[in-house]
Amino acid sequence: MASPAPVRERPKPFLLDEFCKGCGRCIEACAKNCIEVGHEINPLTGLVPVVLNLDHCNACGLCMDACPEPYGLRPEAKPKASEDFELQDPAKLFGERASQRPKPVAIPPEIVPLPKTEPLVLKGNYAAAVGALLAGCRHVYGYPITPSTEGAELMAKLQPKLDGVFLQAVSEVATVNMMYGCGGAGLPCMTFTSSPGFSLMLEGISYMIGSEVPGVFVNVMRGGPGLGNIAPEQADVKLACRGLGHGNTHAITLAASTPQEMLDLARLSFELSFKYRNPVILLADGYLGQMTGKVVLPETMVKPGLPEWAVFGDAAHRGNLISSIYLDEKDLENFNVHLNEKYARMQAAEQRADLFLCDDAEVLVVSIGTPARMAKGAVEALRLQGVKAGLFRPVSVWPFPIDALKPLLPKARRIVVVEASAGQLEDELRLALSHAGLAVPKIESVRHMGGVLPQTGEVVKAVLSREEVTA
Amino acid sequence: MSVFYENFERHSGGLGLKAHATHYCPGCGHGLVHKYLAEAIEELGIQDRTVAISPVGCSVFLYYYFDVGNSQAAHGRAPAVAIGHKLANPDSIVVSYQGDGDLASIGLAEIVSTAQLGIPITVIFVNNAIYGMTGGQMAPTTLMGQKSATSPYGRTAAMGLPMKMAELIAGLDGPVYVERVALYDAKQRIKAQKAITKAMKLQVENRGFAFVEVLAECPTHLGMTPEETEHWVKESMLPVFPLGVKKDVVVEPHGAVPAPSFDAERLVGLVGASAEKPPRFMKGFPEHLGGKDVALKLAGSGGDGAQTAAMLIARAAISEGFDATHIPSYGPESRGGTSYADVHVAEDEVLSPASPHPRILVAFNAPSLAKFAPDVVPGGTIVYDSSVIHDVPKVAEGVRLVGVPLTEIAVDLGKAMVKNVVALGALCAATGLFPEETFKTALRQALKDKCALIPLNEEAFAWGVKSVTAPGN
Repeated sequence: MASPAPVRERPKPFLLDEFCKGCGRCIEACAKNCIEVGHEINPLTGLVPVVLNLDHCNACGLCMDACPEPYGLRPEAKPKASEDFELQDPAKLFGERASQRPKPVAIPPEIVPLPKTEPLVLKGNYAAAVGALLAGCRHVYGYPITPSTEGAELMAKLQPKLDGVFLQAVSEVATVNMMYGCGGAGLPCMTFTSSPGFSLMLEGISYMIGSEVPGVFVNVMRGGPGLGNIAPEQADVKLACRGLGHGNTHAITLAASTPQEMLDLARLSFELSFKYRNPVILLADGYLGQMTGKVVLPETMVKPGLPEWAVFGDAAHRGNLISSIYLDEKDLENFNVHLNEKYARMQAAEQRADLFLCDDAEVLVVSIGTPARMAKGAVEALRLQGVKAGLFRPVSVWPFPIDALKPLLPKARRIVVVEASAGQLEDELRLALSHAGLAVPKIESVRHMGGVLPQTGEVVKAVLSREEVTA
Repeated sequence: MSVFYENFERHSGGLGLKAHATHYCPGCGHGLVHKYLAEAIEELGIQDRTVAISPVGCSVFLYYYFDVGNSQAAHGRAPAVAIGHKLANPDSIVVSYQGDGDLASIGLAEIVSTAQLGIPITVIFVNNAIYGMTGGQMAPTTLMGQKSATSPYGRTAAMGLPMKMAELIAGLDGPVYVERVALYDAKQRIKAQKAITKAMKLQVENRGFAFVEVLAECPTHLGMTPEETEHWVKESMLPVFPLGVKKDVVVEPHGAVPAPSFDAERLVGLVGASAEKPPRFMKGFPEHLGGKDVALKLAGSGGDGAQTAAMLIARAAISEGFDATHIPSYGPESRGGTSYADVHVAEDEVLSPASPHPRILVAFNAPSLAKFAPDVVPGGTIVYDSSVIHDVPKVAEGVRLVGVPLTEIAVDLGKAMVKNVVALGALCAATGLFPEETFKTALRQALKDKCALIPLNEEAFAWGVKSVTAPGN
């Protein structure tokens, strides 16, 4: 014998006056005219809730469907028999909701040994791409822009074979926001870009900093302003060190000067990006991006983990939030204080410099990127001529490696900044000296712009022009 | 309903009434859309997998209410952020929730390109014909004649016509489902709820991109009561934004996405690294070329093969255990324009990779020879294509000029392309930079995937050598 169909009990609506804004969308929805516009201001909310008279209510539920508030009109809950309705905590009236989700636990990255191989012959852009692959990056977004395109092209070729993602975005603006999503999900991601593209990404980088999202930006700088040209320039040093979009922003900014360093620093960028939950900028120039050289693979590669803060889309990370909004002024100030403390930690721990013949140097040549290589040749030539020259090469431009420079200053009579910009590196140097409370010595410069690079010969000449050759 | 937080703690710390009331104005459509989205998530059992992307606009605070993974995007960029999340975890269910300023104006490129991409993402588009959070300015969806803070005399044709997003998105090949719904009466609300559930279900089934446009009420900025707004949506918005399914195609679910590989051997193989030691043929660095660093320049037009030849020299040097660099220099006009390469070969480390004063110059055409020959250092060597260069410029004393009919030899071999390899042979014979075997090994290595071309290139190289060493030269 078939059991009788269960009688579906339809609950009537229930309203806590405090949760009603009195919009009245339920009034029209009710076919039985059970709901009326209210006239009494609720003293708790200052709003006027609707008034329910459920004598004719047939529990059709249309009023509840029309109510825009999650805790507005709700199906009536049966109070526990043991308690008077009035004695119950309204928040608990509809039952406790235990959260089932586990607490997120950080899965640390794994270090995987690499087989030993012979040196590769790689272009700078390719080397950075290989560095990213070795750092465990399987998500690359980008928009092609010369002279960084080979990086994206290699990723487009290799990522599918590693079951990774290369997605060509509709623009640099979309690119950086895809990175925001992927970085927010807790995975390593990167892009290759060049100056005009980098400009377009700045807003997104500010959001990433504000939401503490990691991501690596390889900016192969070219000549500007505007469309400029595709020749090497170092005109984005200021942008990377001082101008990463709106707000109080900083990111560790590394500058490579060989294809080998493109690989090594790309790899390091990912590590730092996750260590600090902050984007990292790897600066190269058009020459270095295109330059081919000897590249030795490291002994290990990284299999990324998953940080506890990630919005990955699984149960453990359900409670997480990636956001940069702090509407309350005090909250935002506190957050910026937190960021500044983080920046200070970066400044203390992440200064990097490469010193060439600096120990006894009386002339310090300061340079980054390809011009630093020209300068290195110049230093060697100057030494052959008896001039005690040394190359001080910041590998981290922000934070500027002032701690490594400081002990060299007493001996150094002169500082010559060699750069492919109108003095952006020199500004970083001056700021660092000034912040460190050091007297700023006279700084000379060898500068070129527009894609013209300082050459070894002219650095030698510039130094010699004021130097008595002693040997 | 458990998809909503029990307490809205992110809403002003969840104190007092804000723990249970939204920040939306009385009568605002967002609350209803939120409820339908929450119901859909609950019904489909995907709360743990869902990532909600909140936009900029009134619903920027979506994350106050939804107990799911939350990510807050920049204005207009929610679809791009959604792609980032979805591709990071293809198993996640990603919802981009956007208003009309966000989606139809500043983020138009992102929504169109994401829709066309077609990956399974759900977009909920709340269209209330006005900018809410900014204070009631004109939106792309503002109706003709409608007054707003930035169209105070009513929208005119000069401000453009209202943007029909559902139709625009449905016109793309990417989406599988596009529907426009409304909230103004019980029937429409049921349809809206069904549409949102369907759009989410399609993602759960991994079928594709789904888009639901919801005509919603903004009583505050339309300056009406909630009831009047409902009528206004029905009477005024509907004629411009007709409701209904705009696209609904049945497609097979996307296949499962494999997990990224972190296999070391696979990666090393893909980047072309090998444990095999390249054979070495040199006893020491060619110091007869003037020290521990040799600067070379190869110059010609695009297509002459200067870059390839330069790369082969760098490769050969590195195989021999030296350091080497190659910098190409060609403009955007390059393919067919000028093409120069600076190469350095150094015993230990290339300090200065540019070659403004090369020791060795290879010139494939007259302008290149004229431009760079005077810069070659005394004692240097210039190899040039005597097939095409007839006037030889003045060079520094002690510079050796070696004219080789590169083009002629290559054409005789049946492939004009190999003139750069002929040049390498000539360079090898004229300078003694590396032994012949070093170059040939680099050539074979470079052509390992095109073995058929190896004999021709070896022959070209031999002809280059012969043209320098043969009696009479």
